[in-house]
Formats: sequence, C-alpha cells, structure tokens
Amino acid sequence: MQSDRQARFEALAAEVFEPLQRYLLRRMNPDDAADAFSETLMVIWRRLEDVPSHNPLPWCYGVARKVASNHRRGRKRHLQLVERLQREPVTPPQEESADPELEDALATLPDSDRELIRLWAWEGLEPRDIATVTGLTVNAATLRLSRARKKLAEKLTRQDPDPSGQEWVGRTKEQPI
Amino acid sequence: MTDELRERLARLDPMPPGVPTEPMTTESSRQLLEEIMSTQVAERTNRKWLPAAAALVLVAGFAAALALNGGGSQPLVLTAPGEDITGICMQFSVEELAKAPLAFEGVAESVDGETIELDVTKWYKGGDADTVVLQAPSGMEALIGGIPFEEGESYLITAYDGQVNYCGFSGPATAELRAAFDEAFGG
Repeated sequence: MQSDRQARFEALAAEVFEPLQRYLLRRMNPDDAADAFSETLMVIWRRLEDVPSHNPLPWCYGVARKVASNHRRGRKRHLQLVERLQREPVTPPQEESADPELEDALATLPDSDRELIRLWAWEGLEPRDIATVTGLTVNAATLRLSRARKKLAEKLTRQDPDPSGQEWVGRTKEQPI
Repeated sequence: MTDELRERLARLDPMPPGVPTEPMTTESSRQLLEEIMSTQVAERTNRKWLPAAAALVLVAGFAAALALNGGGSQPLVLTAPGEDITGICMQFSVEELAKAPLAFEGVAESVDGETIELDVTKWYKGGDADTVVLQAPSGMEALIGGIPFEEGESYLITAYDGQVNYCGFSGPATAELRAAFDEAFGG
C-alpha cells in the first residue's frame, strides 16, 4: 500500500515526467539524459517537502539543470582525460541545422545567456519561472533575458548569409548548459 | 520581433512537442519510480554531525562575485578581506548548513601562495562556474579558516552572506561532511 508521500510523488511525477525528459534531451545526449533524469527524480523524491505545491515544474527544472550541469562537468573531466590519453582532440559530429544563422548566433552567446534563451523559447517559460529555475531574482531574470534576446537579435542582424554557401564554423551539436 | 524570434528558436528545438518521450506507464518507467520510492529518506531533525569547532576558528569574509552567478565557463573569484575575522562558531547542524546560499565541492587544482584554484566537481547550490578561485588573506598562504589546502585534494565549501563559514560548514571532503551536504542540499 502506498504511503501519502508516495502518492504525492506519483502525482508530481505525472506532471513533470515528460517535460523533464524534454528538458534534459534538449541539452544532453540520450544516455546522459537518461542518467540525469533518474537522478533528478531521485532528488525530487528526497526533497519532496521542498517542492512548491503550486506550479512545481520550474522548481523541478531547477533540479534538472543542476544535475545536468554536474553531469556535464564530470563528462568534461572524462573527455579531458581521454584526450590526454589519446593525444588527439575528440571532434563531435556535425549535423545539418534547420537555421544555421540562428544556431550560430546562439552558439556565440555566453552559456548563461543561452540557457535563458532556451528556457524562454523551448521550455516556454516567462521570467518569473526562469527565475525559479536559475535561482535569479525575477527582476534579474527579466533584465538578463531581455538583454540576451537583444544580443541575439543584434548578432542576427549583423550576420550576413555567406553567399558562397560555405558551412558555418564553430557550431557543435551539444552545447554546454 | 520577440514573437518572431521565439518562433524561429522553437524551430531549432531538438525535442518539440511532437517528438515522443518515455511514458510514465511503461515497465521501465514504473520500475524506475518504484526504485526511487523504495529509497529511504532521511528525516530532517536536529542531527549533529560534527562538534562545534573548538579553539580558534576563522570566519573569512569573502566578498564580490558571489552575487554574479556567472556562466559555467567564467571562474568564480572569491576574495577574502585583508584582516582576519575571528568569530564564535555556530553549532553545526544540517539545517544551518542548508541555509548557505552557495555550496559546492571542488578539487584543489593549484595551490599557489595565497591563491587556491578549485576545479568544481559538483555544485550543490548557488552557482555554476567550473572553477572557483579562493584568495586567501594576505600572509595566510594556502590556509583559510584553518583548512590546509593541498593540490589534488577535494573540498566541500559553503559561503553565507558573502562569507565563507568554516566552522565545520566547509572543509576537506570527508564522507561525513559529504553526507551532510547531500542531506542539506539534496545531493
């Protein structure tokens, strides 16, 4: 028989199960995302009493963000070690982009700005919820999102499509979180 | 322009709503949830992990940078004031530890005079920098708050109100302190 705590967790899981998977799969490869997903749910289970009862998803995104960030850090260390052992850089595979100009402009933003943009555009969050995810104040989230959008728009305006049709450089498939 | 940009960005979304995810009802999902729910959760009571630090314990004030919450690639530089601040230690408890707005674990990559560079292995709370640079007070080479920093060793650090608290709230990453961090900040 389920305890009240388990019932509460099940209800919460039903709400966040899909969006958390999307959040992690947008930022990590499937294997890492699966690990990070389990870890995120585990943290939510352990901290169930801290989860806001109203609109819990941004808080849960905040947990996933931290878990993913720690994974990335561990992965980076692992890759550095592999690179050192192999004495050859590991080059991630490149994929065709639906919008190379925008992807390129996005890639040139600082990590923190890029994450604000993604939370806004992909997770569909407004500054109040972005503040919950990132630990910023609402004012800071509003201001920084606005600045990040402006920066992105400026980069797009400045970019001239390459008439020779050459590949854009500097894009990687997996961007840091 | 804003809506247009948002729509254009949405087209780059690698996981748009049409792409399926693992439903909660599959066998593997159920198994995962059951495993998680079978995990014991420690009660948050007044557990005492470590005795309040005796004798002299320094509370070195770290200023700046804490509020910047910079991106992962930017090192977080924490500086200590020139003079030492001695203080009376607060009794260690997980509840007190949990109040720290900044907490992380890092490996001392370099200990060079008064500068200690920590390669962050895990952020528990309040930041996302890959590297944190601790600037020890003048004349306190590689020793902040009684913690001797050695290259290659791992440390658990908290900062509170712009000040790093060493009264058992920061120190070498022992299993005991790590368990306290896990409990306080949810792993």
